[in-house]
Amino acid sequence: MVKIAQISCGTEYSGVQKEIEKAASTFGAEIVIPVTDIDYIDEAYEKFGFNCASSGIRLMVARAMSIVEGKSDADAVFIATCFRCAEGALVRNEIRRFIQQKTRLPVVTYSFTERTKADELFIRMEALSTIVARKNILAREKQEGLTLGVDSGSTTTKVVLMEKNKVIGTGWLPTTDVNQSALNGIDQAMEGTGYKMDDIDGMGVTGYGRLNIGKKMEAELIQEELSVNSKGAVYLAGHQQGEATVLDIGGMDNKVITVNDGIPDNFTMGGICAGASGRFLEITARRLGADITELGPMAIKGDYRKAVLNSYCIVFGIQDLVTSLAAGSTKEDVAAAACHSVAEQVYEQQLQEIDVREPLIQVGGTSLIEGLVKAVSETLGGINVVVPEYSQYIGAVGSALLVSGMGKRNDK
Amino acid sequence: MKVAIFPPNSLILADLIERAGHKALVLQNEIRKKIKDPEIDSPPFNLTEDDPIKGLKYAAIEVPSGVRGRMSIFGPIIEEAEAAIIMDEAPFGFGCIGCARTNELCVFYLRKRGIPTLEIKYPKTKDETIELVNKINTFLDQLEEKNG
Amino acid sequence: MSPKENHEVCHDDNTRTRMIILGPGAHISQNELVQKLHMMELPLTIKSTCYGAMVYGDQEFVNQAVKKARKLDPYNIFTKDRGFPPGDPRRCRGHRGAAREGFHQLEKEFRLLGHVAEALEKPRKVTIEEPEKVSVDDFREIVKKSLKSSKLSKIKDEG
Repeated sequence: MVKIAQISCGTEYSGVQKEIEKAASTFGAEIVIPVTDIDYIDEAYEKFGFNCASSGIRLMVARAMSIVEGKSDADAVFIATCFRCAEGALVRNEIRRFIQQKTRLPVVTYSFTERTKADELFIRMEALSTIVARKNILAREKQEGLTLGVDSGSTTTKVVLMEKNKVIGTGWLPTTDVNQSALNGIDQAMEGTGYKMDDIDGMGVTGYGRLNIGKKMEAELIQEELSVNSKGAVYLAGHQQGEATVLDIGGMDNKVITVNDGIPDNFTMGGICAGASGRFLEITARRLGADITELGPMAIKGDYRKAVLNSYCIVFGIQDLVTSLAAGSTKEDVAAAACHSVAEQVYEQQLQEIDVREPLIQVGGTSLIEGLVKAVSETLGGINVVVPEYSQYIGAVGSALLVSGMGKRNDK
Repeated sequence: MKVAIFPPNSLILADLIERAGHKALVLQNEIRKKIKDPEIDSPPFNLTEDDPIKGLKYAAIEVPSGVRGRMSIFGPIIEEAEAAIIMDEAPFGFGCIGCARTNELCVFYLRKRGIPTLEIKYPKTKDETIELVNKINTFLDQLEEKNG
Repeated sequence: MSPKENHEVCHDDNTRTRMIILGPGAHISQNELVQKLHMMELPLTIKSTCYGAMVYGDQEFVNQAVKKARKLDPYNIFTKDRGFPPGDPRRCRGHRGAAREGFHQLEKEFRLLGHVAEALEKPRKVTIEEPEKVSVDDFREIVKKSLKSSKLSKIKDEG
């Protein structure tokens, strides 16, 4: 059984301890509390050097030290503190870094409220336990042989065919029937390559429909999107070592993953406001009489300050854009303002929950809108934003890459 | 008299109060009430989402859930107290008093009650410890006199 | 673990758990303490622990046991309530790996118990009012006086 060491403050008093344990046990893992004694707490706290006012947080420091110094046995670490606690957030992050620097253990962090339920923690716990179980596979940095990767998302299905560390075919289509969309996507990816399903060495599946497709098509790798997307992003960006942030502003929801050496350690997802999604840009493009692919170059030429936008809302914000156009703003300025609005909204809703690390690898369909990429960088104070080639296919690329480490299908 | 103590799980404070014939309002008794509820299954303390919500009586929604959850346990003690002993700078108070912000709020609420309160510092030396014990006993004896 | 599975030890609200702690200067050993507790013949669960003993049962009997236990060595026996019954899987060290948080507090306070015992044995008259802070004027006077008698006065004059 995978042992997940819990280092936290406030879980028991927020009523979420049970949810954490439930989430861990769902993925065959067990929560353990690292051992400390009173003298060790003092010693560890002094050694770490972060003055904490709360003894619960000092205890976190000692528990982290206990893991780093090998006094407690653990396969993975879950670090959690209360949402909105400044001291907790600072220490959570420093402990995370400390454990990552001193050990090879996968770490996942979280800030919770009393509303946190087990299912919000599922993807984190699944990531932790699969990272432990598949350490060797996740260490893979190069694709080999001929492999297929499928990312079955809630809105679109993405497929890539890879050979000799290169993408040789892609498929992209809206998800209707999970299995049928995957089959059609595979056809698209195979087209023109001369290969058939019988030729591939392995198949990896991720995303919302992974279990369904994976079982039906006997995929060698069925894995949650957190670790697959992280891997795909750092692989495509050529940034497999060190820290990075992966940002996916989707059509319906947004994901932010923080990564250390290609392994994810925190994640936030949000999807309650269309104003913070690709949908806002789609509607803007339509209002401007442009195709979504034209919006990016248009926005680059514009100045967002010249178009008045008083609301992030998809209803009122778009109305403001129309008013700006009528008042004489150029299409370019309006396009730039729309991109800025989405970037700012993502910043306010999500990036504040996570410690953003450079480089920021922007992925997903919206990463192809240059104006949005520029706006994200500006909103974050000029941070280095990287958009790798095939950025809209990271989940599929990550799956194809990882499955290539699992041996050849036809040899078995 | 019912005496609230801070840290609310202090062995020394609770023991001295009991010796002097008063009742120490200790945190453990609040925890006991929680964990004995067979209707709830939320280990270890049987606190659920509802408890931080009860804590809204003491701290606003913008305050972290851990502070509110802790206040939902400590708040009733503050309300019940007829006297209080606050020991400042206690080294390691874990569990319910593991959060510095909660501690500040608890002490503030205790002071605001306007009940007889003794404020002392956690001792560092033998002399300080002896001084502290005598102070506590003097305070407790005075309570008795006040109480008739 | 569900409290329902633990019902045999949590049958009603009237039960209490008390830790009986032997201070460092205790005249009786832990074994003797446990033995004496057993000899009281009260319907209690008695558990020997690293700091002394733990008694669990009906509040009335727990209180009786505590009272009698204190008499065994009045200055060196201390007691503390515990929220959880002995061996409760939700807090038990054996089950969760690390010690429950309250244990660390106990460890710290234990180190003072020898001095507490001494203070209890030889009570002294003390005043609980804190001495007032020195006034600014007095402070200034003291500083002046000490400056005069030190080399610093030279620097002050030059400045």
